[in-house]
Amino acid sequence: MTESSMNTTTADRTESDGATSSTETTTGESDERTNAAWREYSFAGDPVLSVADLNVWYDDDHALKDISIDIPEKSVTALIGPSGCGKSTFLRCLNRMNDRIKSCRVEGSVAFNGQDIYADGTNLVELRKRIGMVFQHPNPFPKSIRDNVAYAPRKHGDLDRGLVPRLLGREETEKENELVERCLRDAALWSEVEGRLDDNALGLSGGQQQRLCIARCLAVDPEIILMDEPASALDPIATAKIEDLIEDLAEEYTVVIVTHNMQQAARISDQTAVFLTGGELVEYGDTDQVFENPRSQRVEDYITGKFG
Amino acid sequence: MPREAYRKRLERLRDAVVAMGDRVYEQLDDAVTALFTDDCALARDIVETDATVNDRCLEIERECLDLLALHQPVAGDLRFVVAAFQIVTDLERIGDLATNLAEYTLASTGSASPLPDVDFERIAALALAQVDRALEAFVTDDAEACFAVADRDDELDARCVRVAERVVRTLVELHVDHESNGEQRVGHGTRTPPVADVIANVSRTLVIARDLERVGDHAVNVAARTLYALENSEELLR
Repeated sequence: MTESSMNTTTADRTESDGATSSTETTTGESDERTNAAWREYSFAGDPVLSVADLNVWYDDDHALKDISIDIPEKSVTALIGPSGCGKSTFLRCLNRMNDRIKSCRVEGSVAFNGQDIYADGTNLVELRKRIGMVFQHPNPFPKSIRDNVAYAPRKHGDLDRGLVPRLLGREETEKENELVERCLRDAALWSEVEGRLDDNALGLSGGQQQRLCIARCLAVDPEIILMDEPASALDPIATAKIEDLIEDLAEEYTVVIVTHNMQQAARISDQTAVFLTGGELVEYGDTDQVFENPRSQRVEDYITGKFG
Repeated sequence: MPREAYRKRLERLRDAVVAMGDRVYEQLDDAVTALFTDDCALARDIVETDATVNDRCLEIERECLDLLALHQPVAGDLRFVVAAFQIVTDLERIGDLATNLAEYTLASTGSASPLPDVDFERIAALALAQVDRALEAFVTDDAEACFAVADRDDELDARCVRVAERVVRTLVELHVDHESNGEQRVGHGTRTPPVADVIANVSRTLVIARDLERVGDHAVNVAARTLYALENSEELLR
């Protein structure tokens, strides 16, 4: 998982470097309709994530600039924008995945249920249990379907399994079965794998593997699920299943999703945040408002394809 | 600019709506001319060519559906396509009303004189000007002009109401003389018009006023959809 995320990061930054100069003129244009109007966006209820004045640098490259945004709980928030705009970087800031990148420096705060996740002493293992992540390419462990789902709970000690518990007569087989079934059901995969839980996960189709990764993420009982283009490597049918699943998940979880597919963002999200080249958050609002009547002319030009 | 083919298609849609608007304006202008000059040949032309306007409307609707289904326009583009879809319906209705006027010309016996002090030429000119202004607002993306079309509709409405009042007054004042041969005439003597002619004339006056007033309403709809496309404002749609 570490290696995969590192690779994605390197690729993103390379794209960013190329894109910055080509769209310089666009970002420099006056934008009477912007005036950081997204700052006025408000929603009912409390934010589960509250990001304030977030700045991110990769060495000298200022990748995200003064991002402040509140994300409501039990809803789908889509992050869209051209390649290299910093949306994936932003997503990874939300569970400190960027800590793994040496050149990356983060300033500002990300409050999760009121607690700054960048405060000293934050338990990263616990944090990433509460804020899980699903990546672009399905990356199941080369193990059985059951082991994929139960792996993290066993590791975290939430399930007593293995030789020692078995010898001590404390193995929690029933509890594990229930957990595996619940997670696979929640990930809309149970009916397709019910009779073959001990088959190798790598034998599943791409779409099934991605739903297994979502089930694996659910197994540690997260509150927030971060998704980085979870359907971009899938065919339309598998994509539709993932989209349906995301909408269902939002009844219990908070989903933040990065997508290159604007129609996907429009279809499945409640809120949309638009990042544009240069690491700026240019607009944030209800998805229907952003796609029907964006406040920012630059966002209008981007989503209608006038540049990008 | 990315999506060049898509943007060209949007421009072609705009051109098609404008061309249909121009065609409908001509149709209405001809219908009014035919009405005032009793030009039955021109009226027949108008009735016969209405089908092409209807076909044009359907073609543009299909193009809007294609754009929605295949290109998924958003923001201003989405509002423009949706507005175009609605505007061609209003233009098609104006074409139908022009056809109505042409049919009144064809149905006219020519024996009845128009009601006195009904200035249909002024009313028709107002209706035509409203269509022209609404199309101009669409072509030039002029939000102010959209509001102007809505404001000026009041004058057209008021004039049409006065025509209706004039018709009612005529009917109230109608004095029917029962002649010995059984024919009913208005007023006394054989040189006064027959009642049947006056009734036909009054009905014709009413429907012409109603149709010209509706032309004005459709012009306001065109302006309202244009404003929606431009500024996401529903103010004139209410």
